[in-house]
Amino acid sequence: MSEGSIAATPGHGLNRFLSRNRGTLIAGAVFVLLLLLVDWVSVGPFTYFDASFLSSGGATSAIAAVGQTIVILSGGFDLSAGAVISLVNVVLASSMDPAAASTSVVLWTLAGIAVGMAVGAFNGFFIAVLRMQPIVVTLSTMFILQGVTLLVMDKPGGFIGADLGAFYLGDAIPGWLPMSPVVIGVLLLLWLWLKGTRFGTTIYAVGSDPDAAAAVGVNVMLTRFLVYVLAGGCYGLAGVFISAQTGSGDPLVGNPLLLSMFAAVVVGGTRLGGGQGGPVGSVFGAYILMMVVNILLVLNVSAYYSTIAEGMILILAVLAGSLSRGSILASQLRAGWSRLAAWRAGMLPSQLDRGDKRLRMAAGGRARTVSHQPPFYVRNVETLRYALPAYVCLIAVIVVTQFWLGHAILNPGYWNSLLVLSSFLAVLALGQGSVILTGGLDLSVPWTIGLCGIILAGMVNGSDGALVYALPLVLLMALAIGFVNGVGIVYLGISPIVMTLATNGLLQGFALLYSQGTPAGFSSPLLRWFMTGKVAGIVPVIPFMIAFVVFAVVLLGRTPFGRRVYGIGNGLRAAQLSGIAVEKTLILVYMLSSFCAGLVGVMLTGFSGQASLGMGDDYLLPSIAVVVVGGALITGGRGHYLGMLGGVLLLTALQMLLAGTTLPYATRAILYGLVVLGAVMALRERRVH
Amino acid sequence: MKFGSSIRRLSLLAGVVASALGVAASADAAEKYKIFLSMSYIGNDWQAEAANMVKALAAHKDFADKVDLQVQVAGPNAQRQIQQINAMVQGGAKAIVVYPISPTALNQVVKSACDKGVKVFAYDAEITEPCAYNVHIDQEEAGRVTAEWLVKKLNGKGNIVAITGVPGTSVDDQRTKAAKEVFAKHPDIKIVGEAVGMWSQAVARTELSKILGTRSWDDIDGLWMQVGCFTANAMQLEAGKKAGQLIPCAGEGSNGGRIQMLTEGTEVEGAAPPYAPLGAQRISYASPPYSGALALKLAVEALEGKEVPKLTVLPLPLVTNETVKLCEEGTWEEMKAGCNVFKPSLVSNPGWFASIYSEKTPEVGLNAALVGQPEN
Repeated sequence: MSEGSIAATPGHGLNRFLSRNRGTLIAGAVFVLLLLLVDWVSVGPFTYFDASFLSSGGATSAIAAVGQTIVILSGGFDLSAGAVISLVNVVLASSMDPAAASTSVVLWTLAGIAVGMAVGAFNGFFIAVLRMQPIVVTLSTMFILQGVTLLVMDKPGGFIGADLGAFYLGDAIPGWLPMSPVVIGVLLLLWLWLKGTRFGTTIYAVGSDPDAAAAVGVNVMLTRFLVYVLAGGCYGLAGVFISAQTGSGDPLVGNPLLLSMFAAVVVGGTRLGGGQGGPVGSVFGAYILMMVVNILLVLNVSAYYSTIAEGMILILAVLAGSLSRGSILASQLRAGWSRLAAWRAGMLPSQLDRGDKRLRMAAGGRARTVSHQPPFYVRNVETLRYALPAYVCLIAVIVVTQFWLGHAILNPGYWNSLLVLSSFLAVLALGQGSVILTGGLDLSVPWTIGLCGIILAGMVNGSDGALVYALPLVLLMALAIGFVNGVGIVYLGISPIVMTLATNGLLQGFALLYSQGTPAGFSSPLLRWFMTGKVAGIVPVIPFMIAFVVFAVVLLGRTPFGRRVYGIGNGLRAAQLSGIAVEKTLILVYMLSSFCAGLVGVMLTGFSGQASLGMGDDYLLPSIAVVVVGGALITGGRGHYLGMLGGVLLLTALQMLLAGTTLPYATRAILYGLVVLGAVMALRERRVH
Repeated sequence: MKFGSSIRRLSLLAGVVASALGVAASADAAEKYKIFLSMSYIGNDWQAEAANMVKALAAHKDFADKVDLQVQVAGPNAQRQIQQINAMVQGGAKAIVVYPISPTALNQVVKSACDKGVKVFAYDAEITEPCAYNVHIDQEEAGRVTAEWLVKKLNGKGNIVAITGVPGTSVDDQRTKAAKEVFAKHPDIKIVGEAVGMWSQAVARTELSKILGTRSWDDIDGLWMQVGCFTANAMQLEAGKKAGQLIPCAGEGSNGGRIQMLTEGTEVEGAAPPYAPLGAQRISYASPPYSGALALKLAVEALEGKEVPKLTVLPLPLVTNETVKLCEEGTWEEMKAGCNVFKPSLVSNPGWFASIYSEKTPEVGLNAALVGQPEN
C-alpha cells in the first residue's frame, strides 16, 4: 500500500535503533508476553520439552516467512511459497530410498534448497527480466507447481529418512538448545550479514522506490531476480523442515501455509509494499500465530469460536504494534482534535462562505477543447494496452474450444454457461478491483459470501415473499461488514491484509454460530429462476450482468467517486493534499467490495439452490487474479473495469475448455498456470529508464 | 497434581465462566478421562455433522460421567494439527480423537503421543502410523461397487461424466482409481468428462455447468460422482427433463439425493422440487459421519482396558432404489429397523449426509447429527 507514513525523526544511537526497529521489537515483546501467558495457564512448569515442541512447531512457518519478508521488502509479493513447500516435500519423499541405512542431511537439505531456488529463479526471470507483476507470475507459478507436485506424487505417502528428522527435531545442545531455533538463528545471522552488504541496501532501496534506486545506479533487475531466488531457497528449507517433521510426503501439506505466512510478516512489523521491516519480526510473527493454537487449547475455546478468537488476536497483536505517536490511530486522533478546534473557531471549509470563486472563462472555450480532442485510440492507449491482451487470449481460448470440443461458438448453451459462470467473478471484480485500485486487498471476500448466502437462505427458506425483505437486509449486512473493514483500515491504521483476514475469521465464526454447523433453508423459486431459468433462451442473470458492467464502468470511469479511487491509488499523500476525502472514500471502497461479495453470496445461493459453509472459499484467489490479468496494477492506481471483465471471461472460458477435456487434474493445473502467465506477458511494465 | 494445578490456573485466568467449568472438572477429575477431539476444517457440512455426533455421544448419560471432551479445530493446515496434538498431549490428554488432515504428516507426532501412553483414534481418513487406531470405510470398495452398479445400469455401454473429490488425498485416489479400473474393463463405457468436485455440492454444480457448456445432457448416459448427484438431478430438471428421464447417478449419501430416490409422487412432509421424490436411479454410498462418535466410544473402551482392534473397517452404507426407506422421526431404533432417509421438514439442508446409522452407536440418532443431542 502506498501510504504516506510519517517519517520517523532520525535520532542518535539508541533512539534511532528503537525507531527503526519498532515493529520488530514490538512483535518480540508480544511474543514474550504470549509465551508467559502460555506458561502461566498451561499444565505444569514450562519445560525444555515444551520449548522444543513450540520451537519446532513454528519453524516451518518462520523459515518460509523469512523468505516472504525478503520479497515483500523489495516491493514484491510471492503467492507460490506454499506450493514450493509442498513440491520440496514430495520431491524429497519420493526420491529417498527407504532401504538406505542412513541419509545425508546436508545433501538432502541442499537438494531441497536447490529446488526452491530453481522455482525462485523462474519467478525472478518473469518478474525482474520481463518486468511482469509479481502477483500474477507467482499465482501462475502456484498453479503450475500444484500440478507438478501431483505429478510427482498423487497421494500422500513416500518416505523421509529418519536421520533428517533426528537432525532437525533433535537437540543442538542436549537438554539446553533444540535444533530448530539454531536453524532459524543461522538463517537470521545470514540475513543480518546480507543486510550489511551493498546488496542488502539495494533490497531496501528497490523496495522503497525503484525509480530512485535505478537513478542512483542500483541494478534493479538483478536485485529483484536475486530476491526471488533467495526467497525460493528459504521456502525450500522450510520444505525440508516440514519433511523432517512429518517423515513423509503429502502433496497438499504446504498450500494452507500461504495466508498465515502473510499474516506473520505483517504481525512482525514489515510493511506490505516494501522498504520497511525485516525477517526477525516475521519470525516472531510466525511464532505468535503458532502459539494461538496452544492458547485456544488451554483456555478451552469452543471450536465455533476459535476463528473469532484468532481474528481478535490478530487485530490486537497488530494494534499493539502500532501504538505510538507516529501511528495512524494517533494521527487520526490528533486530526480529530484539530478538526474540533477548527469547528469551534468556525474555520472548517464547510463553515466558510461558499461563493463561486472560479475565474470567468471566455465563452466558447469548451467547444474549442472538444475540437482539439485527440482521437479515441490515442486517448485510451493506456487502457487498451492493458485491457486488450485478456480479450485477445479470450478469443484464442474460444477458438481452441471450438476446434477441440466442438459445440462452442454457435451453441447458445455455451454462451449461457460462460456468462452465468462469469457473473460471480464479474461482480466480485468490481469490489476487489476498486480495493486493489486504491492499493489495498480484500481477503474477507470468502466468508462475506458464505455468511450472506447462509443468512439469506435461512431467512428466505423457499419463499419469494421473504426475499423482499431478506435481500435488502443481507445486502445491508454486507455493507456493515465493509464499513467495519474500512474503519479498521482507515482509523485504526491496520493494514488491509490483516484487517480483512481477521474479519474473514470473525465472519466464519459468526456463520458457524448462526448455522450451528448445518446451514438450513434454501433459495426461493424466484432467485433460482433468476440464476438458472431461461427467458427466450437467455438466463435472466445475463441481462443483469450487462447492466452491472455498464454501472461499474460508469462508477469507476465517470463519477467523482471513481476519480478519487484512482487518485488514492496513484498516491495517497498527493490525494490527501489535493483535497480528496481519503478516509471517506476508502471506507466506501471497502463497503463496495463487501456489497459485491454479499451480492455474489445471494447469486450463488440462487445458483446452487442452497447455501453451504465454505461456499465462498473458491473465489478469493480468482477474484484477485482476474483483476490483475485484466491489466490492473496490484499496487493501485491503474486498471479499467472492462479489462478486469476480460480477465473474468478469459479465466472462465479457459476453465470450461479444461473441464471439457479428460486431461488429468495435474496437467490441467499446469496448463491453466501457463496460459495465465502467457496472457499477462503483454502486460509487462515499461523499462524503468 | 499437575492436572489440578492447571485447573486452578485456568479458573484464575478466565474468571467466572471458566471456574464453573473448573469446579465441575476438578470434582470428577479422578474418574473422568480427558479426551480431545482435533477436527479439521470446520467449514463444511460433513465435518460439522461428525463433530455434532461426537459431542452428542460424550453428552450421553453412559458417557457424561466418564468423559471430559474438549473440541479443537486445526483448519486445513496439517502443520497446525501437529502443533495441536502436541499441545493436547501436554494438556494431559488420555486419548485423542482426530480427523487427520493428512494420513502421513501426523505420523511423527502420533508416534510420540503413543509413546507417552496416549491413545490416538483417527476417524474417516486414516493415519498410517502403526500405533494409531483407525475407524473408516473401505474407500476402494466404495469406488468399485458404485462403478459396477453404474456399468450394470448402462448395460456396459455409454458415455459417463466423473466428478471426483479433492485431488492429492488418499481417499479420492483410492475411490477414483478403483472406479476407473472397473470402467476400464468395459471398453464401451467412455468417460467423456472428468472434473474435480472437492466433495461439495456447490463445486459440483459449477463444474457440471462448465462441462455442459460444450455438451448437452442428451450426450451423457450416466454419472459417477463422489458428491453431487442431488445437484446433477436438479440441473437436469432445470434443463427441462422430466423425472422419468433422469440419468443414473452413482453418488454420495446426501439426504437430498436419497429423497430423490423415492418413487415419484410419494407424500413427504416438507418436500419441494428438486428436494422431492423423483424416482431417480441411484446408488447412494457414504463415508458415514458417525465414525467420529464410534471412534470416541472405542477410545473409552480402550481406556477402560478392553481389547480394541487397530483397524475398524465400517460396513459401507449402500442404498439403492430398492432399499431406500423414509424415517418418521429418525430415532436410532427406527433406523435399526431399516429406514435411511429423513423428511425435508426435519432436515432442511439437502446436502446433509444421511448415513448416520450404526448398530454400534445406539447413543446417537438424528438429533445427535443435527444438534448434538444424544438419544435417551
